[in-house]
Amino acid sequence: MNKATKQISKLFAAMAMAGVASYSVAADTIKIGLAGPVTGAVAQYGEMQFVGAKMAIEQINKAGGVNGSMLEGVVYDDACDPKQAVAVANKIVNDEVKFVVGHLCSSSTQPASDIYEDEGILMISPASTSPDITSRGYELIFRTIGLDSLQGPTAGNYIADHVKPKNVAVLHDKQQYGEGIATAVKQTLESKGVKVSLFEGLNAGDKDFSAMISKLKQAGVDFVYYGGYHPELGLLLRQSSEKGLKVGFMGPEGVGNKEISAIAGPASEGMLVTLPKSFDQDPKNQALVAAFKAKNEDPTGPFVFPAYAAVQVIAEGIQKAGDTDTAKVAAALRANTFDTPTGALSFDAKGDLKDFSFVVYQWHQDGTKTEAPLN
Amino acid sequence: MSSAITKNLKIAFFSALLVLAVAYPVLGLKLTIVGIKLEVQGASSAALWAIAAGAIAMFFWQLFRSQLGTAWSHAPKLPRMPSQASDFLTQPSTQRWFILALVLVALSWPFFGSRGAVDIATLILIYVMLGLGLNIVIGLAGLLDLGYVGFYAVGAYSYALLSYYYGLGFWVCLPIAGLMAAFFGFILGFPVLRLRGDYLAIVTLGFGEIIRILLRNMTWLTGGPNGISNIDKPTLFGLSFERRAAEGMQTFHEFFGTAYQSINKVIFLYLIALLLVLITLFVINRLLRMPLGRAWEALREDEIACRALGMNPTVIKLSAFTLGATFAGFAGSFFAARQGLVTPESFTFIESATILAIVVLGGLGSQLGVILAAVVMILLPELMREFSEYRMLMFGALMVLMMIWRPQGLMPMQRPHLELKP
Amino acid sequence: MPDLYHYLQQLVNGLTVGSTYALIAIGYTMVYGIIGMINFAHGEVYMIGSYITFIVIAGLAMFGINSLPILMIAAFAGSIIVCSAYGYSIERVAYRPLRGGNRLIPLISAIGMSIFLQNLVLLSQDSKDKAIPNPLPGNFVFGESTMNGVVISYIQVLIFVVTFLVMVGLTLFISRSRLGRACRASAEDLKMANLLGINTNNIIALTFVIGAALAAVAAVLLGMQYGVINPHLGFLAGIKAFTAAVLGGIGSIPGAVLGGLVLGVAEAFGADIFGDQYKDVVAFSLLVLVLLFRPTGILGRPEVEKV
Repeated sequence: MNKATKQISKLFAAMAMAGVASYSVAADTIKIGLAGPVTGAVAQYGEMQFVGAKMAIEQINKAGGVNGSMLEGVVYDDACDPKQAVAVANKIVNDEVKFVVGHLCSSSTQPASDIYEDEGILMISPASTSPDITSRGYELIFRTIGLDSLQGPTAGNYIADHVKPKNVAVLHDKQQYGEGIATAVKQTLESKGVKVSLFEGLNAGDKDFSAMISKLKQAGVDFVYYGGYHPELGLLLRQSSEKGLKVGFMGPEGVGNKEISAIAGPASEGMLVTLPKSFDQDPKNQALVAAFKAKNEDPTGPFVFPAYAAVQVIAEGIQKAGDTDTAKVAAALRANTFDTPTGALSFDAKGDLKDFSFVVYQWHQDGTKTEAPLN
Repeated sequence: MSSAITKNLKIAFFSALLVLAVAYPVLGLKLTIVGIKLEVQGASSAALWAIAAGAIAMFFWQLFRSQLGTAWSHAPKLPRMPSQASDFLTQPSTQRWFILALVLVALSWPFFGSRGAVDIATLILIYVMLGLGLNIVIGLAGLLDLGYVGFYAVGAYSYALLSYYYGLGFWVCLPIAGLMAAFFGFILGFPVLRLRGDYLAIVTLGFGEIIRILLRNMTWLTGGPNGISNIDKPTLFGLSFERRAAEGMQTFHEFFGTAYQSINKVIFLYLIALLLVLITLFVINRLLRMPLGRAWEALREDEIACRALGMNPTVIKLSAFTLGATFAGFAGSFFAARQGLVTPESFTFIESATILAIVVLGGLGSQLGVILAAVVMILLPELMREFSEYRMLMFGALMVLMMIWRPQGLMPMQRPHLELKP
Repeated sequence: MPDLYHYLQQLVNGLTVGSTYALIAIGYTMVYGIIGMINFAHGEVYMIGSYITFIVIAGLAMFGINSLPILMIAAFAGSIIVCSAYGYSIERVAYRPLRGGNRLIPLISAIGMSIFLQNLVLLSQDSKDKAIPNPLPGNFVFGESTMNGVVISYIQVLIFVVTFLVMVGLTLFISRSRLGRACRASAEDLKMANLLGINTNNIIALTFVIGAALAAVAAVLLGMQYGVINPHLGFLAGIKAFTAAVLGGIGSIPGAVLGGLVLGVAEAFGADIFGDQYKDVVAFSLLVLVLLFRPTGILGRPEVEKV
């Protein structure tokens, strides 16, 4: 790219940013790349991540920035497409951005993280839960969310110990996230001697699950675990109740979204969900929740607070390291504990959170949730 | 009032209403989730004014269309390309020089392009290769193939699987991937090639989807939706471009005693892509002059005449289909190497549509056209990245406008031809 | 007889899904019959129709109106008007300037249009899934209980009835009315029809409008049955309907309906036997198999090759 086009693209970037929030573009800024889907089918989850990260940047800047420099968020759209994620990663290298909060989809995060690690860029993903991402011995790759392999056992144990069903169906949406969790749940259930009579994928984006429901009826299932996101489970709940299939349902944090009650209505009453502790319900986060609401933004999405925490951890890591050198910051991240709205975070050698616990919630038809009873 | 004005008024009124009906419900009203209930909210007043202004503009434009039309004809015309120049540009010999010039530019690109630019160029080269391959099938043999991405997937997974299970390197797998894709092309092409036109289109689309769904569902072999990750990058005669070499390997920078530079890896990948494109160009150019290439084009122009001349259409079609698939296989295995990760979601229908758009935009059958169109189609969304959310909207609109503005393609190719004058 | 009930239920499931494919497929088949092009943007018109349905229903609910007949009439009216406007405009903007050239050109234009419309709605209505409650809850149950019997919801019955009525009405329109005759003449030979004094431009526009209106009908019915929409649902629906149209023999209206039903039933049983994730594989394999033995679809006319 020559100088002229670079100038133009900077201009556009500035224009784009101006619409989002008023950043003080001082000479001395630390750029943070916010990478995730702005377009494409999962743009709504990308939005959660951007909302959280931008809020953190704004608040940190208001409080005086990091070591005297201001943070600047730059949004990069990968459309949740691995090919575009590589292009975005290379663009981030080009733009000399040293810190990245993203990406969202594990399949984008993985190829992008290869490049970040190689180029000395520190990346924190607030949303990618695939265990593979941090299992490769990388130094600069972190995440502020729990792993699939953590959530599965929590759900499986709860089903086996408290629901005690006779015959379980484990369904998933044939995507990295959903199938990963569903497999973990199935293994936990089987190890505890619970019968899993059906383990099957369905097509994300489908609207009609009547064939699947008939199959569940025939298999005589009395409990269904679904690994995936809320639109499909919402439809599954809705159509099950319409077709008279009365069984218990459970899902991971991807279904723990108010909209599932909008889709399923009364059928969502009593559904079980494993969620990270719901940060927006935490009394100590009320000021932050109010700040989101003041900007007319939704703080309830599962990735809003982890994204906020990711930015905060980067900022404090830079402060602790006293430098923006990413290797030093990474060392600081591993050495310290950070008090964030998602709790006190500390990272293990792989870059995963040391303890991140999931809680089983019971869902209600008005979109609220309470902790599930342990009987 | 004369009837012409009444008629114009009617048309104008109708057009203005049409604008309102199209724009207002979608742009002027917004479904919003309040709590768990759905509510309809009005858009900003600016949006409403814009819609009203659009309707009024449409009204007056239709009302005074004939007057404006005459006024327009007096206005200075946009400079048009003189017919001689366009004739010159579409001559095969000129295009050959153009391609040569482009190759020279491509060769020198890594020396002045930045890292991101070289990376994008690599992506463009992948699409050039895919476009050239599909060009054989659609542009030359006239077979509408909407499932081309399936063969691309076969190539990518061939390398990924061989590397994952048997640890084979890129250079060994490249020809195998091409052969695998060719094999699939042959097997799938055999039963369906007697279908015509749009039937062939939907069947190939179906095959593309079947391949993707099977890759996604056969978790035991392909890793399912996770795909296969950590695929090795290509090496240069056994020299790796990684920072730390795997066991028993040497890295490029150690061998030459230079400091590690990560950009070398990007440039090396780019050069491999360029090499593959050059080979593709060369092979296709040779084929075009062989009887087989001539037969493809003859078949596209008139199948019945070909049959009457004793040519076997099935064999000719099958050869085009198989060869096209082979190049997709090469491109696929390179894609896997560049990406380091293959997942089924990289091979959706929209990918086929993009490749098809490259071929049509370039001008069916024209190799220079395919190259230019690949540059446009890949660069455009990248340049529009700054508009983030408006990016795909503009991309779609540009696809429509391009087809209206230049339906013959950016750079169509003239065939040597004779015209008989009465 | 739980097994018999199970298979009967799957048959009903398949027929319902199939009817909805059929309604959208008719739009494809009509356009193809007349100008021989695949209108890839048709699925997006369906998607826009669903948004209009939701806007009307949610809007009326805000005024406290929730009597079912009013909701349905308003939704049908709103959706049909807007979709027709879209059908007409799309033809005018993206296809008419391209008529008469290479067949691939309008195809690319259509794909571009489809991307454009999808992103237009994505921008103006955002990407979240929108949902409404089922306005017509309730079932007919045949057999012992909902768990052991065949369950058919009221909306499913409505979908069957409407699809059937639409097919009969359209067939009558095409075969009996003056405009229908003009449509058939244009389908037979566009140039000749033009020479004989038929305004083929209007006929083509009419085809697009009818196709879009049917997509709107499908959008209202499906919007009510599933109750969930997002800007991405048009693509999948479009591909499926297109497959149904080709399966039945593209260009034939009863063919589109038959193709839709066959496809729906095949998917339901495919999901039952091989698992839901193989549903689309079953659908496409069926298409390939049928075309191998009947290269122009189930009810398609064999093409005559002209020199």
